[in-house]
Amino acid sequence: MKEERKQNPSMKYAMAIDLDRCTGCGACMVACMAENNVPFKADESNKLDSITWLRIYKLTNGKSYPDLDVCYLPRPCQHCEGHGGHSPCVSVCPATATDYSSETGIVSQIYTRCFGCRYCMAACPYHARYFNWWDPVWPEGMEKYLTPNVSPRMRGVVEKCSFCFHRYQLAKDAAYARGRTVVPEKDYQTACTQACPSGAIVFGDLNNPQHQVHQIVRPDPKNGNKSKNPRAFRLLERLGTNTKIYYLSSREWVRRAGDNYLQHEKTGAVPVPH
Amino acid sequence: MKVDRRSFLAFVIGGAAGTALSPLPWKLTDDSSIWTQMWPWTPVPPDGGVSFADTTCTLCPGGCGITVRKVDSRAVKIEGTKGHPVNDGGICMLGLSGLQLLYGPTRIKSPMKRVGKRGEGKWQRISWSEALGILAGKLGEIRNRHEAHTVAALSGADQGTVPALFKRFMTVYGSPNFICMPAFQETEALAVKTLFGASGRTGFDIENADYILSFGSGLVDGWRSPVRMIRAAGKWHPNGITVVQVEPRFSNTAAKATRWVPVAPGTEADLALGIAAILLSQGKASGSVADMLDQRHIMKKYAPEAVARTTGISVETLMDIADGFSRAQRPLALCGRGKAQNPESLRDTAAVYLLNLLVNNINQDGGMWLFREADDISWGLPQTDAMAVAGLRQPRFDGAGSQPYADAQYLAHHLADAITTTNSPYPLQVLLVAGANPCHTLHNAEAVKSAFSQVPFIVSFSSFWDETAQMADLLLPDHMYLERYADVPVTAGLTGQIIGLCKPVVSPQFNTRHLGQTLISLSRRMGKEISEAFPWDSYETCLRKTLSTQWETLMETGVWKSPKVKRIKGNLKSGNVDFPAALAEGDASAFPLMLIPYDSLSVAAGPVGSPPFMIKAVADTVIKGKDGFVEIHPRTAGELDLKEGSVATLTTPRGEARVRVHLSHGIQPGVIAMVSGLGHMAYDEFLAGKGVNVNALIGPVADPSSGHDVAWGIRARLSNA
Amino acid sequence: MRTSDGDTSNEKPPHVADDKATGPSVENRADAAGSIILFFIFGFAAFMVLGWVVFPSLLYSQKEQPFNFNHALHMEEVDNGCQSCHFFREDGSFSGIPKLAQCTSCHDEMVGQSAEEAEFVASYVWKNREVPWFSYARQPDCVFFSHAAHVLAARMDCVTCHGDIGTSESARPYEYNRITGYSRDIWGKNIAGIKQNTWDRMKMSDCAECHKNSGAGHISSVQTGRDACFVCHK
Repeated sequence: MKEERKQNPSMKYAMAIDLDRCTGCGACMVACMAENNVPFKADESNKLDSITWLRIYKLTNGKSYPDLDVCYLPRPCQHCEGHGGHSPCVSVCPATATDYSSETGIVSQIYTRCFGCRYCMAACPYHARYFNWWDPVWPEGMEKYLTPNVSPRMRGVVEKCSFCFHRYQLAKDAAYARGRTVVPEKDYQTACTQACPSGAIVFGDLNNPQHQVHQIVRPDPKNGNKSKNPRAFRLLERLGTNTKIYYLSSREWVRRAGDNYLQHEKTGAVPVPH
Repeated sequence: MKVDRRSFLAFVIGGAAGTALSPLPWKLTDDSSIWTQMWPWTPVPPDGGVSFADTTCTLCPGGCGITVRKVDSRAVKIEGTKGHPVNDGGICMLGLSGLQLLYGPTRIKSPMKRVGKRGEGKWQRISWSEALGILAGKLGEIRNRHEAHTVAALSGADQGTVPALFKRFMTVYGSPNFICMPAFQETEALAVKTLFGASGRTGFDIENADYILSFGSGLVDGWRSPVRMIRAAGKWHPNGITVVQVEPRFSNTAAKATRWVPVAPGTEADLALGIAAILLSQGKASGSVADMLDQRHIMKKYAPEAVARTTGISVETLMDIADGFSRAQRPLALCGRGKAQNPESLRDTAAVYLLNLLVNNINQDGGMWLFREADDISWGLPQTDAMAVAGLRQPRFDGAGSQPYADAQYLAHHLADAITTTNSPYPLQVLLVAGANPCHTLHNAEAVKSAFSQVPFIVSFSSFWDETAQMADLLLPDHMYLERYADVPVTAGLTGQIIGLCKPVVSPQFNTRHLGQTLISLSRRMGKEISEAFPWDSYETCLRKTLSTQWETLMETGVWKSPKVKRIKGNLKSGNVDFPAALAEGDASAFPLMLIPYDSLSVAAGPVGSPPFMIKAVADTVIKGKDGFVEIHPRTAGELDLKEGSVATLTTPRGEARVRVHLSHGIQPGVIAMVSGLGHMAYDEFLAGKGVNVNALIGPVADPSSGHDVAWGIRARLSNA
Repeated sequence: MRTSDGDTSNEKPPHVADDKATGPSVENRADAAGSIILFFIFGFAAFMVLGWVVFPSLLYSQKEQPFNFNHALHMEEVDNGCQSCHFFREDGSFSGIPKLAQCTSCHDEMVGQSAEEAEFVASYVWKNREVPWFSYARQPDCVFFSHAAHVLAARMDCVTCHGDIGTSESARPYEYNRITGYSRDIWGKNIAGIKQNTWDRMKMSDCAECHKNSGAGHISSVQTGRDACFVCHK
């Protein structure tokens, strides 16, 4: 099986989000909602049940006026690879509703397969998964803008960011129509990447040295895919979740906010324990 | 043969065996599991051929190009147009949510006339012919009584062909009262006229500046052309650009800036003039400009120590900013608080323009550009009959253009007072409202609403059920932007002169009609004198003929960039650059706090309310349930015995509201801030009743120089509820 | 059946003892055994009929297509086979059932003499109405099926999944499942789910079977070791 896998050039779609560029404008968040038929309800102020595949977190340095500093951190699904594709959610799903693809590196979620046990939500260290407590209801007429590319969810299932996988599917169709099998970098970009006005989000194949994301991240496969870029960090990197969202920041306090560091520990210098 | 218990059991067992060997249980299991996975009420969006249609977004003044993705005839997603000179593929939250407005329940679906009491919400659907008949009859009757001047038009914009048609209609009809909603462009035009003696506007080459000094401008919070600004901001860090953000509250812009300089609210001009004084005293200012000024006055009145006291900024910081600004290769100073949607005082604006003059960046790369407004509409003056001439001779209802506000073009905030007072030159009989929601966005909104209830006849052309449409007697709904043609001149601080083209990407969803077309049709019903001023058979013809030279480019690329702009030279007309300040309303002893509104990209504060996606993205420290928040410094909150999330009563000289408090170290002690654009009573369940309308708590404050409403805050009191 | 008989015989002795004490004669017992077997067969037969005959007719409902369509006739007229009408769009997506605009490129007025065409032209072309065809092969919303991957990349022919519809002379009634709303073609005509041809069924297992048989690299799923879910689902 391993040999077979080697024959297929496997991709590893990943994202680099430059927090030095991000202004927290929220376009990525709404682009995601519009692209993926994310429902909404009358009151969305309880953020525990508000479905936002990509949520922007506000980080503060904890200092008081006027020395405070704020950094915005867009958080899509981190698409953990874990060890050999055993990401936290995939490992616990009893229904094979969520899966890791070794071909694309994307963690998938199949709504019709999900029966709503929410183990995956408990397992996810990033709160990237959301449960549909209610049936989605669009006000009369508004269902007209729903896209056929992403199926609307139903009450009782878990949903999350898919790296706009349908765009990959469509890009692949377009490639086939041109007689190719490989999807070019620019043909498969997520909705958030496309919408971001500041160019903070870069998306592509981490395994492909031609892709911008590879050039920014410079992953070190010998060291759990840790980035060689000194500005880069991943969220809770030391858990060994081996996530594919790399954040970049020139601010040390922001990089420290990415994990639970003890006072004497330094960012970037900590080896992967597991 | 006897049917007994045994044979019955045998039958049942046989039946069970037969069932198990038939497809029934297995197929039923499969089908019922499928049924539970796909509830029939979960919508299944129909598939079809994908196409893309380009147009221009008009939800804010930014002028972004948008590309609408369609599946067959349905619009399913709005994206930024790649390669567009304003936004090059980028887009903001509001732009992305446009389809919720297009297909949403807040649309007015047909012409209507009021049948219940005003504001009661009882309406009767009528035909376009009847609606136009009612309006033409009403206007004709008033005109025949020689009272044409008692009709006023309130418009959200005054540029482009649609406002031009509206103005033209008012002119030939005989009313001087075409009034535009308050806008920052007025301040800009006034400052250019006062300082440089020319009529024109400013552009800011933000992309090429290397030191940006912003006086409260929400550069990444929606300032003028929001997406263009965020694009520029994305390069600040990689290119090592210094950005100094001067404002009382730590906004997203402050978070993105190199340095946040908290300033006492309303003292931004003092700071700017203080920096100017330092530049002058250190001999770092451009000689030709310095020679024009009364240097001694500035250096004395705005000496660092004095400015430090007024602004609350240390002398050291002042010196530091002045030093950085003067040393930079391409420094640029910016003004216009928040999104710069409202006018500001001449003092604030002139002080910042002066800084740009002093570092000699006028019409330079990375600097402030001055240029004449291109006039693309050359219809010539319409013929006016005697009745119109008589009407036009009457004073304006809002008092603009005459003493004491000779420099002001429009003073919409005077409307409420002029309607209710007995001193107004004449009573207002008809108010036509288009592209504006004055009952929510004008300061002292509640008073505006109650004044409007005294206007005998209000006509709204709004596409949406906003607060003002609810006050109307007659509704003649306009197409929304995705359904219509329009030219969109973009003036939002860009360095070029750009016209975007709004093109229909879907056919009209409801029984609405283009405002331009409505005006042309209306003129046809009003007699030869009026009709002759509109020699076009439709709005589309009018647009095509008006922009005949640009039309081909517009249709092809969706945007037209003027090949040459007429620059204005940055020569000061007079040495006077220090104008009187506009102070916040309220007595400091009764109202110890200062309330300032702030702008956020996740709340639309203009004439269109925030669609559901935006409200969904709003933080729970801004809206919780139906409650809106004020931001307050923990120390100030402690003094008032308020904790995070406490419910409090916020009182200003203009009103009172129930709020929750959010403690933040990102705000000056003694100052409280509230987001603009909430507190709607109209629209749908996703927006209505959420938060507080800050415009209802703040009253208009007239700029002593221009009369524009330049209120930037108000004194307030917060008490534990 | 046989096992259950064996089971009961094993447990018989204690029951027999009880029967003797209170029960009927030997003849009656033979009679009773006969009637038990008879009733067993009755029950068995009745429920077999129910499951195989009554149930399918209750489960599926039929709708007639808007008007009869002759694929065979059209195939003679076009140059490019199925793709003449069921074509790929430029972006690689598949157009599926043709829209009216496509039909009118030939049928803007009557081109033949058939009653069906007359009906089509009068009711749809002249009125500019889309024909509300029922799609036999429509997969549910959770399925992403790429015609491009199968036809353009893997060079499969239409018949493999759609059978001989291209040579049919009339449109058969559209049958759909009352519980799921799916077309009957997804489960297949055979209620037992038995298929003889590749085009008899279109369930996920049929896709998986073909993917497995086609060899190369359908092993991307960490959960199953087969194709990853996202390959065909959305």
